[in-house]
Amino acid sequence: MVLAVAAGLTVLVGVRAASLADVSNALLAFDAADPTQVVIRSVRLPRLVAGLIAGAGLGMAGTVMQAVTRNPLADPGLLGVNAGAAFAVVVGALVTGYSDGGMIAVLTFPGAAMAAIAVFLLGGARHGTAGPVRLTLAGVALNALLLSLISAIILTRSDVLDAFRFWATGSLSQANARPLGLMSVSLVLGGGIAFLAAPRLEALALGSALARGLGSRPGRVQMTALAAITLMTGSAVAVAGPVAFLGLIVPPLSRRLAGHVLRRELLVSAMLGAAILLLADTAGRLIMPPGEIRVGIMTALIGAPAFILMVRRLKPGAFA
Amino acid sequence: MTHTGLATDRLSLAYGDRIVIRDLTLQVPERRVTSILGPNGCGKSTLLKALARLIVPTGGEVKLSGQALGAIDTRVLARQLAILPQSPRAPDGITVADLVRRGRTPWRGFLAPWSEDDGRICAQALEQVGLQEMVDRPIDELSGGQRQRAWIALVLAQDTPYLLLDEPTTWLDLAHQLEVLSLLRQRNRDHGTTVVAVLHDLNLAARFSDHLILLGADGLVASGAPDEVVTEDRLRQAFGLEALVVSDPVTGRPLVVPR
Amino acid sequence: MKSSSLVLPLLLLGAVLLSLMIGQVVLSPLQLWTGLWSGTGPGALTLRVLRGPATFTAAGAGAVLGAAGTIFQILLRNPLAAPDVMGFMSGAGLAVVAGVAFGISLPLPLLSAAGGLTAAVAVALLSVRRGPVMQSSLTLILVGIGVSFLASAASSFLITRMPPQEAADAQRWLVGSLAARSWQHAAQVWGLGALMLLVLALQVRALKVLELGDELAAGLGLRPGRARNGLIGTGVLLAAAGVAVAGPVPFVAMMAGPLGMRIAKVTAPGARLCAAAMTGAVVTILADVVARSIVPGVQLPVGVMTGIMGAPYLLWLLSKEAEAGEL
Repeated sequence: MVLAVAAGLTVLVGVRAASLADVSNALLAFDAADPTQVVIRSVRLPRLVAGLIAGAGLGMAGTVMQAVTRNPLADPGLLGVNAGAAFAVVVGALVTGYSDGGMIAVLTFPGAAMAAIAVFLLGGARHGTAGPVRLTLAGVALNALLLSLISAIILTRSDVLDAFRFWATGSLSQANARPLGLMSVSLVLGGGIAFLAAPRLEALALGSALARGLGSRPGRVQMTALAAITLMTGSAVAVAGPVAFLGLIVPPLSRRLAGHVLRRELLVSAMLGAAILLLADTAGRLIMPPGEIRVGIMTALIGAPAFILMVRRLKPGAFA
Repeated sequence: MTHTGLATDRLSLAYGDRIVIRDLTLQVPERRVTSILGPNGCGKSTLLKALARLIVPTGGEVKLSGQALGAIDTRVLARQLAILPQSPRAPDGITVADLVRRGRTPWRGFLAPWSEDDGRICAQALEQVGLQEMVDRPIDELSGGQRQRAWIALVLAQDTPYLLLDEPTTWLDLAHQLEVLSLLRQRNRDHGTTVVAVLHDLNLAARFSDHLILLGADGLVASGAPDEVVTEDRLRQAFGLEALVVSDPVTGRPLVVPR
Repeated sequence: MKSSSLVLPLLLLGAVLLSLMIGQVVLSPLQLWTGLWSGTGPGALTLRVLRGPATFTAAGAGAVLGAAGTIFQILLRNPLAAPDVMGFMSGAGLAVVAGVAFGISLPLPLLSAAGGLTAAVAVALLSVRRGPVMQSSLTLILVGIGVSFLASAASSFLITRMPPQEAADAQRWLVGSLAARSWQHAAQVWGLGALMLLVLALQVRALKVLELGDELAAGLGLRPGRARNGLIGTGVLLAAAGVAVAGPVPFVAMMAGPLGMRIAKVTAPGARLCAAAMTGAVVTILADVVARSIVPGVQLPVGVMTGIMGAPYLLWLLSKEAEAGEL
């Protein structure tokens, strides 16, 4: 539905306008001499794929995170998981001397995992409900730490300044340099895990004591959720850098559309996340030609007011 | 309508849309201990706060010596009327002496230094509550009863003719409740301070007060001496409570025994 | 005088000396001495043009930020409250960036103050809930975090519209930087800071009474709302003064108060504010020393270092607060 429109816009719109005919030609009867077709194939399509991966990944990761922490303010960007992934890659690239695209991007997974574990433990998610303030602030702290370190590295090695800027704010540009194939696989894997674990996650949402009474093992479920979140977030960051707020705004919307069944929520989150990300990216490209406003900034501009709205909606008792 | 002391004149109070007190006219007896009683939600605290000018009336007014409260200068009022709210929170690590000292605020001008009078009044307040040995102890280290006495010393140090207290005994055990209420009555007897307290315990209120104001869901149920107010009919009317009222064997005051 | 109250002034002195000696080029104490007294010698130029201004600007910025943070921590009774977390400093930063982007040539402190006050008003208005439920300090903190996100995003947005060199400079400034500070900056922050601290001194008595809660404060003859707004205003302006000379340096405002309280062992508001100012100065100076000398050949911005130092502090604070059941 909306996703198809968003996808279409991504491909068709931009500095150089394209038509449907161009698109089908680019796909089926490629003519290397036609600049529009070149743009479509080498820029727009990869952009589209990256956006799909990242948007779906972040949307689903956000849904899982909010279910596990029972906290409407959970988001991979806000809680520092994205920053962890980015940091791991920057350090890896620095240490090994490889460029930041390509296989190095696999480092997003351990990075995301460690950050997720850190923020969950520090934010107290293990012992039941993590209060929104505590979790949010743990995320703020982790983000501050990791982004400061990334800044320090970037400023120290000014030669790689431009390349590394990608890892400071998310962007869908240069998508053809990212390992899109690999990441789509890992995304599907992550999504699959989340899908399978969904019923257990729903039980967990009732509170770990009650869940135990219903026969599930909270510790195990949390580990599974962590694995899913790591795979999905890692894939997203590997192709698009750290994009924040998507995981915050998508889950409540998908709950409205899909009801309280986690599996359906996941599906809707994937599509909604991708659509929103692509739309944000397109808007970013249109607002200021010929440059672009990176999608990470666009999502922040929409997401920050959304965050404030959600804080206002929290019931007074929810601060415990 | 007398023009002395603390009184309300067709007072109405509301929280948002909910009207809590409607058209209430009463006179707080001068130089007596008065308690405000009633079931939860009847507006006891609200009434006390209005008497202390912490809430603005939606109708009618509260008067002090014939003058509407709203018209009195803030600092002048603070020298006449002291309020101790429910469950006050102490700043971290503050000592008893420091806490009580803050009671002198309305008497000290903007840049005025600490005077001998200030010191003397604080010392007296501490003696009256029996905490003179504990002046340098941090409040957090005191027991519940001692802590409450420290707060009372603060409002005593404010040295006002009118003293208003919102549930001063709520989290205390019985022995400490008796301690605090005796203290307040003693203050009244020694200094003539008009005391108005919101209490939740009928028997203690009857024991220590000269005058009771009983509120019910629909407004004022009764106002007068404990013997007049604490009757089986009134209790039924205000609380929906079926009870026996006997004479307390120790004090002779009314004692409520629920059936 | 308790011995614990001498610790901070000594620390401050030590930090200043350290800062004057250490940098990409390390001066020996002898060189420092000759440089200071005679104005000649190898270190003299560095001292006069670089280290001296940087050190004193750092001290001033740290002092005003520390005091500002403590004001909010006392008012909200929560060590998690601070102008950097609650968006006032991001707002100030945004105003400055906007001023540069749109070519508005107002003096930086003015822009910074305007931004900070606007952010404060926004947080206050956005935190108001319907009905009789009073906003808790936690709501204010969360809304403040949201405002801070928004301000940062807006700043990033504006930066992308700037030409590359300006953009790089602005980016660096937004992290919190003391690079290339002149004596003018030092004078600015000390002058404004001294003014605001004087105002604060007059407000301390009100603060002591406000500490007891609004109702008791009103009973004691204070107008709680008015007093609180005055203190908030002072706090925001203090923070803005810091932002004007050093950019929005993170975590100093949050850390200085509790650290100062612990080092100097004080509890009264007036003493806490003094301790916080001194601690803030020490922290900022030391962070800058480390930032500019830890990587040979590169001067890192001070904000990066306070970020690396401050984040673990915040995480530690969170785990402590949770244990105490405060959250």
